[in-house]
Amino acid sequence: MKRSVKALTLGLALVASTASAQTTVTFWTWYLSPKFDGYIKDTINAFEKANPGIKVQWFDKQDSMVQDFIASVNLGNAPDVVNLNIDETQKAAQNGFLTAVNTLTSPATLRSTFYPQSLSNFTSGSNTYAYPWYGWLNEGVLLYNPDLFKKAGLTRAPRTASEMLTYAKTIKDKTGAYAWVPALKDPNTASFLGYFYAEGLPVTDASGKAAFNTPAHASLLAQYVTLYRGGYVPEDAVRREAFQLATELYAQNRVAMIIGGPQALTRIKDTNPALYARTVVTQAPLGKAGVQTGGSMGLVIPKASRNPQAAAKLAAFFTNNANQLAFARVVPVVPTTKGAQTSTQFKTSGSDPVARATALVGASGRLINPGYRAPGNSDDLYKNFNDNIEAALLGKKTAQQALADAATYWNANLKK
Amino acid sequence: MQVHWRQSLMSYTFLAPALILLAVFTFYPLLYGAYLGFTEYSGARFANHLPPQWVGLRNFETVLGDPLFRTALANSVKYLLVVPALQLASLAVAVLVAKNIPGIALFRAAYYVPVITSVSLAAVMWEWVFNREGTLNWLLKALHLTTPEAAFGWLNSEHWAFWAVMLVTFWRGFGYYMVLYLAGLQAIPEELEEAAILDGASAWQRFWRVTVPLMRPTILLCTLLSTIAALRVLEEVLVLTNGGPLNSTYTALMYVYAKAFQGFDFDYGVASAAGLVVALVALLLSALNFRFFHREEQA
Repeated sequence: MKRSVKALTLGLALVASTASAQTTVTFWTWYLSPKFDGYIKDTINAFEKANPGIKVQWFDKQDSMVQDFIASVNLGNAPDVVNLNIDETQKAAQNGFLTAVNTLTSPATLRSTFYPQSLSNFTSGSNTYAYPWYGWLNEGVLLYNPDLFKKAGLTRAPRTASEMLTYAKTIKDKTGAYAWVPALKDPNTASFLGYFYAEGLPVTDASGKAAFNTPAHASLLAQYVTLYRGGYVPEDAVRREAFQLATELYAQNRVAMIIGGPQALTRIKDTNPALYARTVVTQAPLGKAGVQTGGSMGLVIPKASRNPQAAAKLAAFFTNNANQLAFARVVPVVPTTKGAQTSTQFKTSGSDPVARATALVGASGRLINPGYRAPGNSDDLYKNFNDNIEAALLGKKTAQQALADAATYWNANLKK
Repeated sequence: MQVHWRQSLMSYTFLAPALILLAVFTFYPLLYGAYLGFTEYSGARFANHLPPQWVGLRNFETVLGDPLFRTALANSVKYLLVVPALQLASLAVAVLVAKNIPGIALFRAAYYVPVITSVSLAAVMWEWVFNREGTLNWLLKALHLTTPEAAFGWLNSEHWAFWAVMLVTFWRGFGYYMVLYLAGLQAIPEELEEAAILDGASAWQRFWRVTVPLMRPTILLCTLLSTIAALRVLEEVLVLTNGGPLNSTYTALMYVYAKAFQGFDFDYGVASAAGLVVALVALLLSALNFRFFHREEQA
C-alpha cells in the first residue's frame, strides 16, 4: 500500500513537472486570418509536434496591430512572436522594442537560411531584428487587361518605366480607362522614394541625410505631376493606397495594368473571375537602375517577451525554407529563403494567371528591397515628405521646391 | 447629530463605487496625462522602461511652434461651424417628430440609424456619394448644376473636402441630438402649450415664447456636447481623408492621435501637451457657452 502511494505521488509529481515545463508562446500574425487559417494552424500543429514542451497561442491582428503591440508592452503581457513588415520592424528596433534575433539564432544559421538582402532589410546598426518571412516584389509582374490594350491599339506590354508613362497617355486618351495606379503617396510610408531607387537616384547619402532634392529627382517627380494634373492618374491616388485602388479599379475595367506581386490576382479572381481568366501576365518593366523594389514580412521577438528562446524556435520554424515554400503554394508570395531559389516549385507554369505569375517571381526573393530604410523619427519625416509630394501633385509647389522643402525638414528632424 | 453622521456615511457608501471608478478611469488618467505634457516620454524611453523625464514647458513650445499643429487647431476651431447647424436642424426636426402622427416612430428610428452605424461602413457609403462618379455629382448633373467634365472627387478637393467631412459629422450626430431634444420637448408640461393656444399665440410664437425658453437647459447641454465633439472629431476624418488634401481636414485630435498612437515613434509628452491645448480651447468655449446661455436666461 505504502509503495503504491509512493508510486502515485511520484507519478503526480512527474505529471506536474511536465505541465510546468510546458511553455506557451503567443504568436501574432498580421491580416492572415481567416483566409490562411488552414496553413497557419497546420504549421503550428507541426511545430507543437516537433516541440512537445511548447504550446502556441495564435492571434491574428489587423488594423490596430502596432497599437496593440505597444499597449501589450505597456500592460506587461507582450506577445512572444510578432509579424511586422520591414518598415515597422525598423521603427520598432530603433526605439528599442525588439530583441536582436542574431542573439537567439547564430548569425551563421541566419546567413545560411536567408538571402543576404532579406537579412539586410531587417538589419539596423549591426543587429538583425527579424526572421525574414514571406515577401513580394513591387515590379514582380505586370498584369494587363487585353481588351483595353486592344482598344488602345497596343500589342504588347511596356518594357521600360519611361514607356509606362507613354502608355498612360495612350490608354487614357483612347479608352477612358487609366493605364495604372502609381504609388504616389501610400499612407504610413514614403512610397515615392521607391521610384527614385528604381531609377538609380539616391535617397540618402552615406551619413543618412536626405539626398533626394537634385534636379534629376525633381525631373522624375515632375513627370508624375504632369501625368496627375493631366488626369492620367486616378485622383484618389493621393488619398488611398495605390495597390488597393488599382485592384479595385482593375476589376471594374477602369485600370488597364497592375504592376505588383501575383497577390493582386487572387483578389481579381474573387471579384471579377471573367476578367481574371483573360488577364495577361508578363514581366514588369524596370527603371533605369534595373532593380526591383519590394517588401517583406518578418517575425520579430519583442524585448518584453517572457519566452525568447521558445519564441525564436517558433519564428525560425515558420520562416524555414520548407514552410515558406508551403506558404507559397497556398498564396503567391515570394519566399525569402535561399533554398527557394532552386526549388522546382517555381519552375513549372500553366495557363492560369496566378500560376504564371508565381513562376515568374517565386524564386526572386533575393531581389526584395524597399529601396529606402526607415529613418529615425520616420513617422514625422514620411508625413512631411508625403505632404510635399501632394503639394507638387496639386500644383501648390514646383517639384524642385517640394523636394527641397522635404529634404530640409528631413535633415532638421532626423533622429539617429 | 448622530443621525446626520450616519446619513452622510450611508450616502458616501452608495457613492463610493462610482467615485472609485471615476477616480481610476477618469481622474487618474486625466491628471497623469496632464503631467505627461510636461515630460519627455518617447517610444525609446518607454521601450527601455525609463520613466518620463520632466522638461517643463518644452513640449508646449514644440507643439505651438509646429505649423502642422497650428493648421490642425485652426481646422478644429473652423469645424465648430457644424455646431449651430447641427443644433438648429436637430431641434427643428425634434419639434416636427414630437407630434403623434402615424408612422412617426419610423422617422425617429431612421434619423437615429447613422448614430449607431460604424464609421468604416459610413465611410464606404459616403465615398460612393463624394466620388467623381458618385451620387452627389450625378445629382448635381441631373439638376444641371454641373457638367460631367466639371465633376470632381469632393474628398480630393482642397476646398471641398473639409465641408464634405463636416457633412458626415452632421449626418452622424443629427439623430443623437434629435433624441435629446425629443426628451426635452416631452418634459415640457402640456398645460403651458394649451394656455398659450388659449391666449391666441401662433405656432411660431408658441415655439419661441414657450418651447425655446423651456428647452434652454437641453440646448445648453447639446451645444456643449457638440462643441466638444466637434473639437474631438477624428474617426470620420481619419477614414475619409486621413487629414488631406494638403492638410485641409487635418484636425487637432488627429495630431494628438498621430503623436500618441500611430507608430513606434510615438511621443506621449508632445501628444499630451497638444491634448492639453485642445482641452484648454474646449474649456474656453464651454465657458463662453455658459456665459451666453446664462445671460439669455437672466434676460
